[in-house]
Amino acid sequence: MSTLTLAAITTLVFCAPGYPGGSGDAQPFVDQFAKAAAASAGWKSNSLGAIYDPSEQGGLAKLGDKDSALAFVPYAFYVQHAAALHLVPLVQADVVGVGTQERWTLVGKAGGAVTSASSMTGYTILSVAGYAPEFVKHSALAAWVLPADVKIESTGQILSGLRRVASGEPVVALLDQTQAAGLSTLPFAAQIKTLTQSAALPVAVIAVVDARLSEPRAKALQTALIKMNSANAETLASLRLKGFVLPQLPDDVRKP
Amino acid sequence: MTVEQLAAAIAADARRSDVETDSTTRNQLAADALRDAQACLERAPQAAACLYYHAIALGLRARAHPLQANEALKSMLEALGAAEAADPEFDQAGPARVKALVLVKAPAWPLGPGDAEAGLMSARHAVALRPQYPPNVLALAEALAKTGDTHGALEAFRHAQELSQALPPSRDREDWLREAEQMLGRGSPAH
Repeated sequence: MSTLTLAAITTLVFCAPGYPGGSGDAQPFVDQFAKAAAASAGWKSNSLGAIYDPSEQGGLAKLGDKDSALAFVPYAFYVQHAAALHLVPLVQADVVGVGTQERWTLVGKAGGAVTSASSMTGYTILSVAGYAPEFVKHSALAAWVLPADVKIESTGQILSGLRRVASGEPVVALLDQTQAAGLSTLPFAAQIKTLTQSAALPVAVIAVVDARLSEPRAKALQTALIKMNSANAETLASLRLKGFVLPQLPDDVRKP
Repeated sequence: MTVEQLAAAIAADARRSDVETDSTTRNQLAADALRDAQACLERAPQAAACLYYHAIALGLRARAHPLQANEALKSMLEALGAAEAADPEFDQAGPARVKALVLVKAPAWPLGPGDAEAGLMSARHAVALRPQYPPNVLALAEALAKTGDTHGALEAFRHAQELSQALPPSRDREDWLREAEQMLGRGSPAH
């Protein structure tokens, strides 16, 4: 591949820490998505590449590459890293079974000691979004001011976390909308109670990284992604997506 | 075809599917395996071999059709439970070993039937039944890694390596050694 060809490739980095799917499993689907997005934008078929990394650190490393002009990340990742990575939202994802926004739910043991934010002293919050403490504290739990000694832990094993909640360990769990909706299916659901719920927050965004995509190309891609909704249903469904809408993000994310 | 022949045919499809990258071929292997599993169940509905290889065939279908994988994986776990009830020692404690791997690798609740802690219990059960069989120890190592016990996982991978090295040369032995050595080379199994 020539240097000229390499230079023309824009890379879209998919990164969803804590969610299932290894790089090998997901890569064919993100490749397919990149091809479809490029076609929708009227770009050359090989001008948009995609790469998937399931880990926060791996995703950050890939986003540090100067060819990585676009990031497809959960909103939690966006909140945590938008300022440092100079992320500017391009579109907001419409996720199958969830929508464009979701509410996060904090749950604790039914009949347990936690009844308010102030009673969480010494507790640990377990969450798939635990890698993003800025998101947990200032977005998902913006109205629930946490004591200073509360710890936040990332877990991809939220079921284990919920078992710990139910058993009375000093932990609570912050659940995304899909997890909260599934609570009733657990055999120990009666031992779990909802403590508080977030406002509706975006689920995931595609953002331009550090102005590495020119404004005209960014605008063209934004239009193309929104146009993908009806014409690329199968490609989108393989990533659990229905489509994209213009971004409507809360104001509390620190600007680059 | 006899039950044994049908089981062998499904095992061969599974081995081919493990190394096959073409999705059309994988689809065909899954379809062939499911057809043979149905034929096996018609001949001997309670036989551990038929129940076990029906589960393996459902696993091939899950791999070939990832968007419909959850239903296939749930059915696979049910079939493995039935196989385990019929003969827990079949295929060197295969029902418990394969159940462990499904529970460890499948998408976790609420997206799928994955449950790392249940997977660890199942892997421990397989090792208790057949402690000298390297794949059982490899499954235990994966389950320990997934549940965050990195030290325990490395110990188990080392033990699987030792068990494999003590066996006479074969393709299976080389595969088990490669898997153990790859994980030990990484130093800290992913979870």
